Amino acid sequence: MTLYTLRGAVWIIVYLVFILAPLFALLLGSHPPARDFWTEFAVAIGYSGLAMMGLQFGLTARFRFVTQPWGEDVIYHFHRQISLVAVGLVVAHPLILLAVQPELREMPSFLEVPWGARFAFLSIFCLITLVVTALWRAKLRLSYETWHVAHVALAVIAVTAGFLHMLGWSFYLGDPWKRSLWIVLPILWIGLLVYVRIVKPVFMLRRPYRVVEVRKERGDTWTLVMQPDGHPGFRFRPGQFGWLTLWGSPFKITGHPFSFSSSAAVTDGRVEMSIRNLGDFTRGIHKVPVGQRVYLDGPYGAFTIGNPADMHVLIAGGIGITPMMSMVRTLADQGDQRPVFLLYASRDWDSVTFREELEVLKGRVDLTIVQVLANPPADWTGERGFITAEMFKRYLPTPYADHEYFICGPGVMMDAIEKALGELNVPMSKYHSERYAFV
Amino acid sequence: MRRLLADRLVAATAVVVILMSVVFALSRVAG
Repeated sequence: MTLYTLRGAVWIIVYLVFILAPLFALLLGSHPPARDFWTEFAVAIGYSGLAMMGLQFGLTARFRFVTQPWGEDVIYHFHRQISLVAVGLVVAHPLILLAVQPELREMPSFLEVPWGARFAFLSIFCLITLVVTALWRAKLRLSYETWHVAHVALAVIAVTAGFLHMLGWSFYLGDPWKRSLWIVLPILWIGLLVYVRIVKPVFMLRRPYRVVEVRKERGDTWTLVMQPDGHPGFRFRPGQFGWLTLWGSPFKITGHPFSFSSSAAVTDGRVEMSIRNLGDFTRGIHKVPVGQRVYLDGPYGAFTIGNPADMHVLIAGGIGITPMMSMVRTLADQGDQRPVFLLYASRDWDSVTFREELEVLKGRVDLTIVQVLANPPADWTGERGFITAEMFKRYLPTPYADHEYFICGPGVMMDAIEKALGELNVPMSKYHSERYAFV
Repeated sequence: MRRLLADRLVAATAVVVILMSVVFALSRVAG
């Protein structure tokens, strides 16, 4: 068992303890007379669901010691999926109670119900809105920025209302220490949000960066070169990423995650991010003036170069080349001669970002490149279409399970490649993937 | 693949939480 796996297992246990310990604490000391099984079960899932919702703030608080064993994209994936479970539990809580307690179905009008129940309505309404807007943001045509602000606001209201509902009902909170425990918990949850949105930005404010160059690349892509302004900056590992706040202060809620594309071997703190125009926030990158003050929160991510003894197979789709570029540049700067194989899918020959530099890097690194074009020119003799398992068989030495695979690109491509590697009996521990559209 | 692992962890978490809620309810009814 690797150290990362062990840390991952420990964190899952800690996560479950944070959900279940406050629930089982209610069984200690004195408590009111028991009711029927389904009523008690409904109460238990209500408390658990609320604790899970509160811990969502912890999952997105960008604590490196939490995210490192999994990778930031997987943490966000877990955050999204577990929210469905939490909302399911919270919604099931009143439904079961309504089913087993007929008197609850004869409630007076909304204005006459106890305030504890009104907060339950508010909490559930916010939770359902939260899930709907998160799952169908694109279909609802919500911009990432609008959605992000609404997401945080709805989450705070949902958890606060859920907490007030619990206090209003107060069936299990007769003992002062139990009441105190369940008051401290939401304060801690909201405190995590305060840490991310206020405390951390205060530190970032004192460590700004300046844009020193905006470089045009192939494929409607621009590279921002940023230098620390009045501080030494941070060191990152190739393949990692940072949250960029380009316009405004670090208190602005919408930072955007981008991989570093520069070599991690530089020592002056300079970092580069290569950003493709995808029609959203990225549309305005080429307009960024040299000298612009920006803020970087990082480095993050577990997508980084592995065991030097293994052959590294880098599989990039489109702008997914950026973390790979950082890896290849770093290996070149470090004089590392491990074999590297780059399978690089692009739309057409003109849009192959870093095409010329990669050819130059072949002279400094033991690098083999296979370009795959979706729309190749008429005289193209190379690979065409999409990256397939057949291409691995054509180019990679066997046994396939001996190589380290790094995959970054559009979700559909990554799903297909992970499936293909599974068919080649490559164990999961040999895959490293980063989905750049994880928010 | 790590996302598949995350999906399994989500499912396992859901099962554990529901089972523990059953244990909570049973201990109340029995106790």
